Amino acid sequence: MLLGDDEDFDPHLLDEDAFVGEVQTFEFWFGAVEGYLTGRPYGRSAATPEIELDDIRQDRLITTLCNYCVGETAALEGASGLVRLAPNHHAKVFMATQVVDEARHLEVFLRRLGDLGVTDTDAEIRKRANPALLDFKDSLLALVDGGEWDAAVFAQNVILESMEFTVFRSHAENADPITAEVLHGVISDERRHFGFGENDLGRRMAADPSRRPRLQEVKEQLDAIVLSVFEGALDDLEVPMADRPRLGQEYLETVERLGLT
Amino acid sequence: MSEGREAAAASRHSYELEETGFNEVPKKWRKFYRYWGGIDDILAPNEVVCPVCKVVIRSKRKLRPGDKVYCMPCMSRMVVVEGPDGRLEAEVIF
Repeated sequence: MLLGDDEDFDPHLLDEDAFVGEVQTFEFWFGAVEGYLTGRPYGRSAATPEIELDDIRQDRLITTLCNYCVGETAALEGASGLVRLAPNHHAKVFMATQVVDEARHLEVFLRRLGDLGVTDTDAEIRKRANPALLDFKDSLLALVDGGEWDAAVFAQNVILESMEFTVFRSHAENADPITAEVLHGVISDERRHFGFGENDLGRRMAADPSRRPRLQEVKEQLDAIVLSVFEGALDDLEVPMADRPRLGQEYLETVERLGLT
Repeated sequence: MSEGREAAAASRHSYELEETGFNEVPKKWRKFYRYWGGIDDILAPNEVVCPVCKVVIRSKRKLRPGDKVYCMPCMSRMVVVEGPDGRLEAEVIF
């Protein structure tokens, strides 16, 4: 019998090893994505209507999607490198599921750009990419290339994924129906990614507090870039200045829980 | 589970959970979670909000401070605590 097949089973009574052994698996991932992606090729259902956007709104959406593609490419390349660095088999399997998620995100955003009439997506992304986001990508991949699991997971799964989760949710509230549906599927994936990052790093720092200063250092190095990326994304989405502190709150809460403030 | 914990668990109000539309974990686990409606969402005595991903975690029994709960959607492990306003909250434990 598989875990949880018993009607009376309560997952909250699992011990921690059994819990990690359940959620950091492809079996869990299959069951999770089945819930929100079945019947939605490229992240959207056939019944979702395409609405006509005015030229200004369409141009802003293209810029936003180009930058989403940069972020997803960073996460795809970062996660694939992290599979090799992962300190145990559960983390390797989880990171492999994240590679698949990130590739899917890149694919659906490229597809959406195609819907909007962009024929040469590579050229369009090069033209519209936020330089700060490209700097962030370079910094993340340097940490991966340097073999720094903790620092790279912090940059990718805590900083980048928290930022994406916040920006995508904000965007989905006001997006056209197809973009919103695509974003909702991506947001569901992001919960796993930033949750893994916070919990993996939290456990590793609890076991060995000497890991904390390096993460503090990486945070300080990336803070200015992250702020610039975040502001650029919110500018593109025309998020009012008054709403921005609230949107950054969840990232600040995460670093506080990790003791990195 | 120790005899003391079994007795304490047996004395608690229990809940029959049903799915509420949450679809981000495998089907067999979905009834243990629901989407949070924001600060106006009134939680039942067997519910607490995950501080990491803001999903409502549901238990088969009334929650009490000290209970351990898991958020499967974001893979977090938590302990239930009483907040400053007397309401139950979840704190992440590593």
